[in-house]
Amino acid sequence: MARSNALEAEDLEQLEQNSGSASAIRETPPGADWNPIEEAFLRRRSVRKYKTRQVPAHLIRRMLEIGRFAPSQGNSQAWKFVVVRDKKLIERMEQYCVDEFKKMSPALDYTLYPQGSLRRWFTRLKARLLNRLDHNMLHPVPMTVLTSIAEGRFAVFHKAPTVILLLVDRRGVGCPEIDIGIVGTNIVMAAQSLGLGTCWIGFSKFLNKNKEMAAQFGAEWPYEISEAITVGYPIGDPAQNHISRQTHEIAWWEDGQKEVFY
Amino acid sequence: MALLNFAQRQHLPIWDDPRESIYHDVVIDTQACDGCKLCVVVCPGNALELVGEKGAKKSRVKDGQRGCISCNNCQAICSHHAIEARQYYDFAGYYKQMGLGEFSPPRRF
Ligand SMILES: Cc1cc2nc3c(=O)[nH]c(=O)nc-3n(C[C@H](O)[C@H](O)[C@H](O)COP(=O)(O)O)c2cc1C
Ligand code: SF4
Ligand code: SF4
Repeated sequence: MARSNALEAEDLEQLEQNSGSASAIRETPPGADWNPIEEAFLRRRSVRKYKTRQVPAHLIRRMLEIGRFAPSQGNSQAWKFVVVRDKKLIERMEQYCVDEFKKMSPALDYTLYPQGSLRRWFTRLKARLLNRLDHNMLHPVPMTVLTSIAEGRFAVFHKAPTVILLLVDRRGVGCPEIDIGIVGTNIVMAAQSLGLGTCWIGFSKFLNKNKEMAAQFGAEWPYEISEAITVGYPIGDPAQNHISRQTHEIAWWEDGQKEVFY
Repeated sequence: MALLNFAQRQHLPIWDDPRESIYHDVVIDTQACDGCKLCVVVCPGNALELVGEKGAKKSRVKDGQRGCISCNNCQAICSHHAIEARQYYDFAGYYKQMGLGEFSPPRRF
């Protein structure tokens, strides 16, 4: 009979007794101060205004190195990094997105047209129908930002000195987009520990539509630009204060009962 | 009972109608604000502006802005504790926010 790998109850007991020092349990009493890692997460902010000073190359390498050790489904590590520090190239990326948004904004943002006008009515109908095809990209929030970018009130890559493109390998295990979120979080938190500011750039996906640029970045099957992270030295201290955020419902099941917290 | 009824699931909110889209509740303490402009500069929603006489400028929420995403980057950067968003955005119907509680700073448990 094949021997099972599973821990028998007695093995477990032995291990628990012997492993005291190896698995040093850290005791945190209720209401304890934030530890440095918690504090780092609480003070992480998206930074969209940067000093012009370039980030030293070795710091970017350090961040990517931390990224490399991120968890991923089946350890498939379904990502590829493209680092862009070429000012001209970043400007071209920005310009391409802005040009795209200039086409999209008037076609979709009905609030641009006078109340009661035929154009408004028609554009709104179109936006509604398309919204049902893509609830997420055509959410009211990116929609508003789209117009802001088209009108030059907001930027895509925030004039950052360094842009890291996160390409997803679409052959990854399970849901590789999640792995991109995690590897990016590693990169972002490493950057913060180095005194750098970062911002996730979901709009970077539009670069996939530019065949020439996509080829230049290797964003061809099975790779696709999933997200980008801008990096630079922040203007001001974006970690000056803790902030307030909304609380969310937490359903808590224990001892056959459900409780709800916020 | 469904969380969103049929009509809500069809409804796309009108983004510039205050009855359907609530964007923010940004409160500024003009007493404390020293007009350093940092919040205006970092605001991703382009929702803030600086107004007033030279030397006595104060931050203010722009009239009719519809870009605030309640990120509180303004609160994070203000060294005078003069500004804070106190409410999440909410869109009627399809994008209605559900299961949200109060706005709160980090709570230690
Ligand atoms: C996947 C993802 C994509 C994002 N894309 C953008 C973007 O394209 N442009 C931008 O300015 N911010 C972007 N953000 C930043 C969010 O707006 C920001 O995280 C949110 O407002 C909360 O603010 P905080 O990061 O300062 O806490 C993105 C964030 C995530 C997680
Ligand atoms: S950051 Fe604070 S002090 Fe500076 S302008 Fe904004 S509200 Fe005023
Ligand atoms: S909460 Fe964010 S979007 Fe709203 S005013 Fe403050 S910085 Fe701007």
